[in-house]
Amino acid sequence: MKTKLAVVAATLLIVWGLKRHYSDARADDLWWILTPTAHLVGVVTGATFTFQPGEGYFARDRLFLIEKSCAGINFMIAAFGMLVFALFHRIWSVTSAARLLGASLIASYLAAVAVNTARIALAMWLAAHPAALPAFNAADVHRLEGIVVYFGSLVLLYELVQRLDRRGCSVTR
Amino acid sequence: MNVFRVFRRTAVPLASYYAVTLALPLANGAAESGPAFVEHALAVLIVPPVVIVFACAVHTIRRAIWGTVWDLGT
Repeated sequence: MKTKLAVVAATLLIVWGLKRHYSDARADDLWWILTPTAHLVGVVTGATFTFQPGEGYFARDRLFLIEKSCAGINFMIAAFGMLVFALFHRIWSVTSAARLLGASLIASYLAAVAVNTARIALAMWLAAHPAALPAFNAADVHRLEGIVVYFGSLVLLYELVQRLDRRGCSVTR
Repeated sequence: MNVFRVFRRTAVPLASYYAVTLALPLANGAAESGPAFVEHALAVLIVPPVVIVFACAVHTIRRAIWGTVWDLGT
């Protein structure tokens, strides 16, 4: 019981820390998530992103800036909390608790980079094809796309973890 | 596909999404930013359930069509 309470406290602390870091950080401080995302978006879309100090990653040929608000930290926080909650029943010792927190943090980071890459690549495509959703203006399309991609990805991640968890349970039995 | 069952199944991702996009900004005083936050909150509240219902509808239609094609084939 004490271990589970400690995990809840640690989860809240990590969420608070990430949120705090995100609100205080400049684009330069978020290199740990913006750099891999920009590289992956470049691979997917063929655009060349260069780092602009204080702004983020800019693709001159597409006039597209990956800035602080594109970092996907909120998705990472949501995914981290969700993963800890989904696998909370797997805590039976201090080691398993530490493993759960570490694995959830790494998985949420990797998921954030991958999902954000998909979201930015799609945003670039939508920006280049404004006729795809003529009923909405550019800001609405960007917002709608963000909600659908982030929420849809959370659902997929949850389903994946549930399946792996069930498989893990049946193997250990 | 039962919509209520899907809502129950997606409750955890939905709750975690709402917590980060609505509860945390509200706790940080985002409501003071007025109409901008209300607009954001409305979109965030409405779009995910619409996506779920839409996905259920597509799944049901796809199964109905696929089932018909399957029946014709046998």
